[in-house]
Amino acid sequence: MAKTTTITFLLVGILTFSASAIAQQQTKPSEHDQHDHSGHDMSQDQHDHSGHDMSQGQHDHSGHSMSKDSGAATNHENEHGAVTDHGHDHAIDHSAHDTHATEHGDLQHHHHMDHDHLMDHEGTMIMGQNLDKLPSSCKSISQEVEITVRAGRKYAAKFPGTAFAFDQQQWHVKPCSKVTFHFVNEDNIRHQFMMHGLPKYLYKYGMFHLEVTGPKTVSGTIIVPGSDDTFLVHCDISHHMEKGMKAQLVVGKGGENIPSIPGVTPYNVNDTYEAENLPKVSDKAEQNAVVKQITAFTNNNLQNYGMMLIGVLIGLLSIPLFKKILFRKKSD
Amino acid sequence: MPIHLFIAILTFYLMLFGAGAQASLKLPETVKVDPAALTTEPMCDPKISSAWREAQEIEGIKIEASPGCSPDNPAWIAAAVKGTNRISMETLMKTGLSPDAIIKTDDLDGDGDPDRIIIKLEIMELNGKSPDFPGLLPTFDIAPGVQPGAWVFAPKTSGMSTENFESVRANPLLRLPSPVIRVEVGDIVQIVLENTHYFPHSIHLHGVDHPFSHKDHGGNDGVPQTSERELMPGERRIYEFQARQPGTMFYHCHVQTHTHLAMGLGGMIVVEENKPNNWLQTLNIGAGHVRHPSVAVKEQFDQEYDLHYHAMDKELTEIVQKYNDPRLIARDMNQRYDATDSTEDYYTLNGLSFPYTLRESLIVVEPDQKIKLRLLNSGGELIAIHTHGHHATITHYDGVEHNPVAQIMRDVFDMAPAQRLDLKLETVNDGKHSYGEGDWLIHDHREKGITTNGMAEGGSMSSIVYTSYLDDSGLPKVSHFGIDLSNFFTKEYYERRYPIWQDLDETASLGSPAGQLGVNAATQTSLLNALYGLLIGLFVYLVFAKREQIKQSAVAAVSRLKSPKGSNQ
Repeated sequence: MAKTTTITFLLVGILTFSASAIAQQQTKPSEHDQHDHSGHDMSQDQHDHSGHDMSQGQHDHSGHSMSKDSGAATNHENEHGAVTDHGHDHAIDHSAHDTHATEHGDLQHHHHMDHDHLMDHEGTMIMGQNLDKLPSSCKSISQEVEITVRAGRKYAAKFPGTAFAFDQQQWHVKPCSKVTFHFVNEDNIRHQFMMHGLPKYLYKYGMFHLEVTGPKTVSGTIIVPGSDDTFLVHCDISHHMEKGMKAQLVVGKGGENIPSIPGVTPYNVNDTYEAENLPKVSDKAEQNAVVKQITAFTNNNLQNYGMMLIGVLIGLLSIPLFKKILFRKKSD
Repeated sequence: MPIHLFIAILTFYLMLFGAGAQASLKLPETVKVDPAALTTEPMCDPKISSAWREAQEIEGIKIEASPGCSPDNPAWIAAAVKGTNRISMETLMKTGLSPDAIIKTDDLDGDGDPDRIIIKLEIMELNGKSPDFPGLLPTFDIAPGVQPGAWVFAPKTSGMSTENFESVRANPLLRLPSPVIRVEVGDIVQIVLENTHYFPHSIHLHGVDHPFSHKDHGGNDGVPQTSERELMPGERRIYEFQARQPGTMFYHCHVQTHTHLAMGLGGMIVVEENKPNNWLQTLNIGAGHVRHPSVAVKEQFDQEYDLHYHAMDKELTEIVQKYNDPRLIARDMNQRYDATDSTEDYYTLNGLSFPYTLRESLIVVEPDQKIKLRLLNSGGELIAIHTHGHHATITHYDGVEHNPVAQIMRDVFDMAPAQRLDLKLETVNDGKHSYGEGDWLIHDHREKGITTNGMAEGGSMSSIVYTSYLDDSGLPKVSHFGIDLSNFFTKEYYERRYPIWQDLDETASLGSPAGQLGVNAATQTSLLNALYGLLIGLFVYLVFAKREQIKQSAVAAVSRLKSPKGSNQ
């Protein structure tokens, strides 16, 4: 009981600190120290093991992510049935990190430790990362690649009719590549780099998922399968994919293209567009033309009246002529 | 040969005439819809664990029992009371909230509760169009099969916007209505709006004591014409306030309010009295029963409910289902949609219409209780809420307490748009406060308020149910009256394909008539006319073709007639 209280206290302390850190958008050095003393060395170790900073530039937060992660695992406990090789994965996780358990002092949580899901206090997330498990179709890793993926509203500018986008819409890698994605979210909201269709024996639900509230970066690594294939990459926040944040990872020669990727593949369901009656500068010219017409109209009138006047004059002058003709007829 | 043909057609015509006469003697049979043909949903959502109904304690937070069939996730309540920054990862993972969704820190006045509150809200679209397939995404049904396009302020979530990759159903945190926010007088509150939507938005704190402009964050009133520019997609803005007065208030988007509010961007915000150790349930997701009421409410009441009434125009909600291109949606909403021609079609209570209101918006009571009801009308028209079997006392108008000696009791509560009422419902069986135990309806008494897209039973109606009238699943007990509500839990009902009175009697006297068998009356008449024409034509042809014969026979007949006469003479 006392132990749990201490741990809770510790956690609350850390989280409170981190909360105020977000609120103030700055951290004080003294608080950094305090954090370092909080005894989460283990998490740091783990980080070294994985070799990737979750939150670049704010590495003091990595500690939180791990301590939190230990609790996160309960969620996955329920999913044992769904993933056939889960036991295997679990075993690996344990063998790799059992040594750290004692250091962490939190055995209860560590039981559910799952490398598949890492999250820090701001919701920065790495799910389904794979650093060392070779796909069955690969004998060895063919190449190690680093890909920087930028996400934000500004990248939607080159695709009219979208709201959000990645900076690139497709990436090409060789089969069996070990790929590290640096996901740079340049907006001030959440974005995701979510990949689907990966082999389920290596990736839970066939998914690899990076998520971060910007402006911030998160990195994660996967090993792609040995066969040619194309994988969907998107942001699953409501209507981000529909409104442009969609791309594909092409392995080798690739497989079937994913539909409705801006600038790459056409939409399955298209909107209908019609010409709008929008105001144009030339409208103003037309308006001037109308004014001219109105003035011209009055000018024409003058002309008309003039012509009429001439007609009347001619008429008047020709009266005697008519008279003559008429009288001649009468006299006849 | 032509004679035979003539006779055959004549016979056919006579038969047809006979059949027609027969048909007009008997009207079509009644066809009953087979219940097996309906997509019947379980009345109580099986995805929601019944363990959630029980009174419980999570992370030291006491959560009251909520016997309705779809109570709030207790983990949500624990997270909302403690803050997502103060709960274990285990509890957090059960909520689906982002770890920074609700941050509570600093007991500034030293009274045992946190006073610095940060609430992060995102904006999510429900039932919108996809360029990938003809369906909607992510789906949220306000009634079976009824999926109006909507926008909501949602607590900041983590992960997918759907239940999982296979499902198109929205993550339970993404729902109507926008969540109820609860803060305390004196709290330094930051509502951080992270605009995850593809349109500009803002937050206006209607009724909440807030500075017009904040020294650090600038314009603070949410109005693009007076205090700030629209918050564009991908941007974040902080609205900060420290309220000096308590009350039931309202927050909503003030960008293109006539469409954005109707689309769902509005929620209740309650400022509670400052009391010691007042750990508030900062968010009441989905509104309804408050399972961790404030200290002040607990002092005076046995229970508390947030009742958010809303209305949506079908034509407006369909715009986001018609186009995927944000420019086209903007054009139709801003330039083409005429709000003065609009009619409201969907009436909701806490984001849902009947029968789903029975799942999560029942007011479950015991005799001799005092219940606090907070009502908000975020629709565009005046509503008139009627409580069957009860008169309730209006204690507050628009968050301000009414003079206690002048407080009145009513059974119809008229609420202008944006109006809030606090009611004191007393379940004292004295013929005035309550007429006794029962399953008493609470509904908008404008009759269209009990319809969904113009069809009853639907709309915002719910019930005040005494626990003696509640069954094990948490739904009102009605079967002992011979009532079966299961037909309401089918999408065919709201597709108007189910004759609603067919099961009232054995013979289905008000069921659906079968269509005419064979040809219908109109076709029959025209067919007969055609036959007449054919007959006349044939007759004329016959006469023409056999004219010599006819002439001869006529002559013969005449001569035959003449000859005997002649012989006689």
